[in-house]
Amino acid sequence: MTAPRPPRGGRAEVERAILAAVAEIVPGVARADITADKHLRDLGADSVDRVEIILSVLDRLGVREPLASFSDLPNIGALTEFLYERMGK
Amino acid sequence: MSTAPIGIEALNVYCGLARIPVAALFAGRGLDPARLPNLMMDQKSVALPCEDPVTNAVNAAKPLLDRLDPVERASIELLVTSTESGVDYSKSVASYVHEQLGLSRRCRTIEVKQACYAATAGVQLAAAYVASGLSPGAKALVIGTDVSVVDERAEYTEPAMGTGAAAMLVGDRPRVLALDQGAFGLHSYETFDSARPGPTFDVADSDRSLFAYIDCLRGAFRDYADRVEEAGFAETFDLLAMHTPFAGIVRAAHRAVMRDVRPAPSRQEVETDFARRLEPSLRYPRLVGNLCSGSVYLALASLLDAADVEGGARVGLYSYGSGCASEFFSGVVDGESAAAVREARIGDHLAARFEVDFAEYTELLAGNARCLVPERDRPAEAARCAPLLSRFGIERELLVFNGTKGYHRQYEWTTAGAA
Repeated sequence: MTAPRPPRGGRAEVERAILAAVAEIVPGVARADITADKHLRDLGADSVDRVEIILSVLDRLGVREPLASFSDLPNIGALTEFLYERMGK
Repeated sequence: MSTAPIGIEALNVYCGLARIPVAALFAGRGLDPARLPNLMMDQKSVALPCEDPVTNAVNAAKPLLDRLDPVERASIELLVTSTESGVDYSKSVASYVHEQLGLSRRCRTIEVKQACYAATAGVQLAAAYVASGLSPGAKALVIGTDVSVVDERAEYTEPAMGTGAAAMLVGDRPRVLALDQGAFGLHSYETFDSARPGPTFDVADSDRSLFAYIDCLRGAFRDYADRVEEAGFAETFDLLAMHTPFAGIVRAAHRAVMRDVRPAPSRQEVETDFARRLEPSLRYPRLVGNLCSGSVYLALASLLDAADVEGGARVGLYSYGSGCASEFFSGVVDGESAAAVREARIGDHLAARFEVDFAEYTELLAGNARCLVPERDRPAEAARCAPLLSRFGIERELLVFNGTKGYHRQYEWTTAGAA
């Protein structure tokens, strides 16, 4: 039996990638406002911005994933968990 | 299968008689103007109460047919209307269009539906029929035609929804676009990103739709590259034309696909590439709004009117329809293609649309809102529309919707722009 591959930098790496991507695409957002319970739209990101943020996060983490996988995630916390789980694969 | 050239012989669009600046609609609805830069839309065509999917289709195709000789007209033996604005569950839009265009009775007449993708399915199936050689010299007329049924409930989608039609004559003398036969890529699966469950309203999930549009572009291009040796998104196509629900999605999709290019281009290189290969295709869509399945062909017309193709150019085309189905395909254009589209004077017709303010827009929207709703006997209203028709800046022959008798839709030819 093979042990599952350990996630690279853990949740903290995912969180850093999300913070950096949000800062790049919607620069006016204060870091303190980027909390797990918020959706990206709550930060003023429109649908085009949300695409850019997700693609930027995927690039930063080196993860390949269809955008459709992100359609139903309710908030940044769920986004973090989803990416953390994907990094383990 | 024949290897003789096959493709689009003639192309024309009809994008209505009226328009509203997108900024005026934003102001009227109280939408956030900070969203305008990502929307990238300038104007929106507005339908009149006497316009519907049938009149849009006929008004797009009629000028194109008027330039054919009687033998060429008689060789149209397939008429396909593609629409998500059907007027009946059984009787096709094509049946009315066939009558109003005076096409030969030796003609297959059908309507197809797959949201904004279906016109490309029509073009490709028609091209395959022509290429089969089963009926030498046969031509097909494919018309993507729609009306917008969205209002303030659609929020930021409303300013980007257009109205109108694109008509493509498919045959073996492809003056406008010679298809690269066998060079196509497909990507389709079931999703509920947007739909029209009834004749008066759309439902849409903007994230799901935008994500599917981009996933499908990547997937369809991967399939294209599997079929076409050494094809690369960055280098194979001199120009690109894509389905344009709003121009900002085309920019976002281009950026997304350019992330797959190796070596990775810089952000500046991506922006320069977008300006060079895609902006010519966006000029008309930005002035009209989403034409649904006709949209990619409005983008092609825009490209041919705006880009320099005198030396010949390979164009990559991307068609996407919610639900969803998509295709990436390609063809070759040249100076003759540009000359053919120039004959349609599309830019002049767009400029001739009369401008309405927000108050008049809401009146027209209400007047057009029930054009897809079945009514046994709807009063004639072509005469009431006459003052509106006269405000169009170019005199032209026009078909208008004139009510129903026992559910049978009535149409009338008139003259617009005669003031």
